[in-house]
Amino acid sequence: MKDIQEKRKEIGPFIPGPDDDLLICRCEEVTKGEIRQAVHAGMFTIEEIRRFLRCGMGLCQGQTCGKLVKGIVARELQVSPAEIEPATSRAPMRPTEMRIMAKDGGDDRE
Amino acid sequence: MERYDLIVIGAGPAGLSAAIEAAKNGLKPIVFDENARPGGQLFKQIHKFFGSKEHKAKIRGFKIGDDLLAEASENGVQVVLNATVMGLYPEKEVTVKIGEEIHHYKGDSILTATGASENMVPFRGWTTPGVIGAGAAQTMMNLHHIKPGNKVLMLGSGNVGLVVSYQLLQAGCEVVAVVDAAPRIGGYGVHAAKIARCGVPFYLSNTIVEVTGDEAVDGVTIAEVDRNFQFIPGTEKHFEVDTVCVAVGLSPMAQLLKQAGCKMKDTPGGFIPECDEYGATSVPGIFAAGDVAGIEEASSAMIEGRIAGAAIANYLGYLDADGLKEKENSLEDALGSLRQGMFAPKNRGKLVTKTEEGIDTSMNLLEKGFVADDEIERYPGVTHTVGIHPVMECTQNIPCNPCQDACAKGCISIGANITSLPVVKNDVKCIGCGMCVASCSGQAIFLVDEDTGDGYGTVTLPYEFLPLPETGEKGIALGRDGKKVCEAEVVSVRSAKAFDHTNLLTIRVPSDMTMKARFYKRA
Amino acid sequence: MSKMTADVIIIGGGVNGCATAYYLAKKGVKDVVVLEADKSIGHGGSSRNGGGVRQSGRDMRELPYAMYAVNHMWPTLSEELGVDVEYYQKGNLRMGKTEAHLKKLENLAARSRELGLDMNVVDAKTVKEICPYLSDEVIGASWCPTDGHANPMVTTLAYYKRAVEMGVRFFTEAKVASLGLYKGKLRRVILESGEVFEAETVIIAAGYESRYLARTVGIDVPLSTYFEEALVTEMQPHMFDIMLGCADGDFYGHQSKHGSFVFGSDSGLEEEIDMPLTELKTSSLTVSAGCRAIMSYIPLLADAKIVRTWGGWIDMCHDGVPVISRVDEVPGMILACGFTGHGFGTAPAVGLMLAQMALGEETVVDISALSYDRFKPVR
Repeated sequence: MKDIQEKRKEIGPFIPGPDDDLLICRCEEVTKGEIRQAVHAGMFTIEEIRRFLRCGMGLCQGQTCGKLVKGIVARELQVSPAEIEPATSRAPMRPTEMRIMAKDGGDDRE
Repeated sequence: MERYDLIVIGAGPAGLSAAIEAAKNGLKPIVFDENARPGGQLFKQIHKFFGSKEHKAKIRGFKIGDDLLAEASENGVQVVLNATVMGLYPEKEVTVKIGEEIHHYKGDSILTATGASENMVPFRGWTTPGVIGAGAAQTMMNLHHIKPGNKVLMLGSGNVGLVVSYQLLQAGCEVVAVVDAAPRIGGYGVHAAKIARCGVPFYLSNTIVEVTGDEAVDGVTIAEVDRNFQFIPGTEKHFEVDTVCVAVGLSPMAQLLKQAGCKMKDTPGGFIPECDEYGATSVPGIFAAGDVAGIEEASSAMIEGRIAGAAIANYLGYLDADGLKEKENSLEDALGSLRQGMFAPKNRGKLVTKTEEGIDTSMNLLEKGFVADDEIERYPGVTHTVGIHPVMECTQNIPCNPCQDACAKGCISIGANITSLPVVKNDVKCIGCGMCVASCSGQAIFLVDEDTGDGYGTVTLPYEFLPLPETGEKGIALGRDGKKVCEAEVVSVRSAKAFDHTNLLTIRVPSDMTMKARFYKRA
Repeated sequence: MSKMTADVIIIGGGVNGCATAYYLAKKGVKDVVVLEADKSIGHGGSSRNGGGVRQSGRDMRELPYAMYAVNHMWPTLSEELGVDVEYYQKGNLRMGKTEAHLKKLENLAARSRELGLDMNVVDAKTVKEICPYLSDEVIGASWCPTDGHANPMVTTLAYYKRAVEMGVRFFTEAKVASLGLYKGKLRRVILESGEVFEAETVIIAAGYESRYLARTVGIDVPLSTYFEEALVTEMQPHMFDIMLGCADGDFYGHQSKHGSFVFGSDSGLEEEIDMPLTELKTSSLTVSAGCRAIMSYIPLLADAKIVRTWGGWIDMCHDGVPVISRVDEVPGMILACGFTGHGFGTAPAVGLMLAQMALGEETVVDISALSYDRFKPVR
């Protein structure tokens, strides 16, 4: 059981940092500051951060920023990055056009 | 639905090795790879590999790739290229994009060998065109023959950063610096030494503050960091470069395994599936091998692939338990030996202060990329004798031993322990054939004749740059630190098939410089 | 074991739970606890749905509060919560390709009009005027101009964020094992980990799992589960802001503020899915089936790349509308479950009404028809 309010007290309020404007997710243009602020607002999981800010939801599906976001969240929460569960893997593994997806060569499908 | 004994995802060293092993045991494997050519990263590897004979040591990566492909083809392994696996679903079903269509296949077993992707590190300007991954630089140079830039700064001193820096030099780029936030060089000392003696400076405990340039990189500022990796004000250095290469590690591409519901774990080697010693994941019939199961070298990926291939053969009833055990025993030794020495997984991040022989580690090598002149004499490969003899500047315990077989005369000995430092036996007469020089994947062996008369001597060094110097030309001898030590004259340039593109350059320098001159620069 | 007390306990950190917590806090209830079984808030259907904020096609028992949400809550929600929930009120087009479809839509529209909703059937020409990107195969559609869509993930987390700021105590990884009575009233909430929470009022908004929880105090509601999938494309140039649906249920969805298209669809084989509720695995067939369906209505999207697919469990109620009700037999218990896949658009109203119910206030619209004990044998 995780007590969100308790944890928020423990990590303290958001304090702006000099590199808050640093771009972390380049696909969706999410900055370090936005991620840090979200953590202090109570978004403690990668799932929540992604849904709130869209980081890791772009074309590369977090291939580039996933680890970076994890590191930032862990630092704000004052835990090891290993404790932060990465995002769920979702098919397709590569962005794919609808017209290709639509042709899935089923036995008797057109 | 089309069904196979084994579906291998990824035709890199691990995937192909597994498919070959499985096919040898009577399975019908199919291998899917999203790339236009097989071999994974092997075809980008133009350097000679480390290890022993069974690890294909001293063979260049792309040649190992060719051999693997030939073996796959001999064994009837079907490799489908430009085939991207989109998902790994229940009942071991995969969807694969081939051409403009999606196909469904089922496997009685699945081996995921999808490899790894490059990590990034954010700094101001990291998205500026010209900031590229080291792997991307390697692809540009070694597959597409395109120079990534003219002046390059490399971030990361692991083996990838070091090897790619050397390749950048080979491609004619200027490498202005190798920078690492860690206080010590992460990769093999011999790889660092190769670029240090070309004059590339190392900046340890430094990292990038900012990359400048609006449309493209025009410069980079680095600064020193303290123990907590915070910048120390006032330590900034600026370099005018057009390219910044980032080599800060790899992350396993384990998404398919995660999608399939395999139990995962977070390790220093990345987010990887929980596997048993055969590569079996928590989902019956789904296996993993190579970087996707933990970042290592291609050599270990090939062995892991063989083990997984045999285990899959056993899982599906094509190989009995004894057969698997036998295979496992032979391969485990090979894998175990690769995981020995200073760079063994267990030593990750640790400072090893003494070699296995009890010799003090060269701190200069760890901090500056070269062994200092006053440190080099303490190693067993460095001896003095009358006449020509090998000087082996191999100072770290790494699993590698081709040099001892290279010398037909038996001058060089490593012994049973593959990580031992090579010892030169001066009671055996060196004939100066140079086979040892060419055999050393770390380019750490030199033939030295300290006195050829007139107060001069010769140094024979490995040389992998083009164009080759010409006999008789005069240039400059550089020390281990890449600084000028004296004038030098090229007295011979030897190229032989047996040297496999490592040319042997013999330079004539004053006798007192023969233990200092380690590279030749054209005037 | 530790014991914690609160004025109101909400089981389920989905959009309904978070909205309820927010409205309770707004009404000045100091001590609200939300218990979420998962690590993440909004892990269930709240983050997995197509984002429809729809009145059209609703059952007469839920239309009044669906309309209340659209008329009084959604338009100002972003401002109220301080987060852009990406609400667009540009209408809902439910497309038909056959005469039979149009007849079905005609009936739907007629019923909705009777209940006071502006909804009619439009011809192919009008369809093209509303959305020029649709296939010529679309021969007509129902049109409800006051419908719309919003971002369900952000809406859920925005309610959560504001509730947290207002002092609501949220607990994640807090899986409830059972409920417990105290002197004839529901009072105790016992977690799998052993912790016990106590409150005068316990609101159960935990999707299908609500059923397991209610059963521990002798209440059962006729719910079943259904697994539905969705997909999202890469960012596309702006095309339209309306919500789309099909008379035949081929797919539904919209273009989000971000530019990506979010669509829900199915393969037709969902009924027989045999997968535990803890699993959220997509099928190998659905995404392709969905693409075929979508392209047959919006051919221009053929080159849009799919970046992600996902699935989620729907808590289907026997008669297609939720149970939002105090449980007379178990004083202190309020049930809010069985939203049947269309609970997102009504969440602001449901949250508000649950808060009102917890405080013994009259709800903004009458929902007595959604009582837990309305289910009767058919013969």
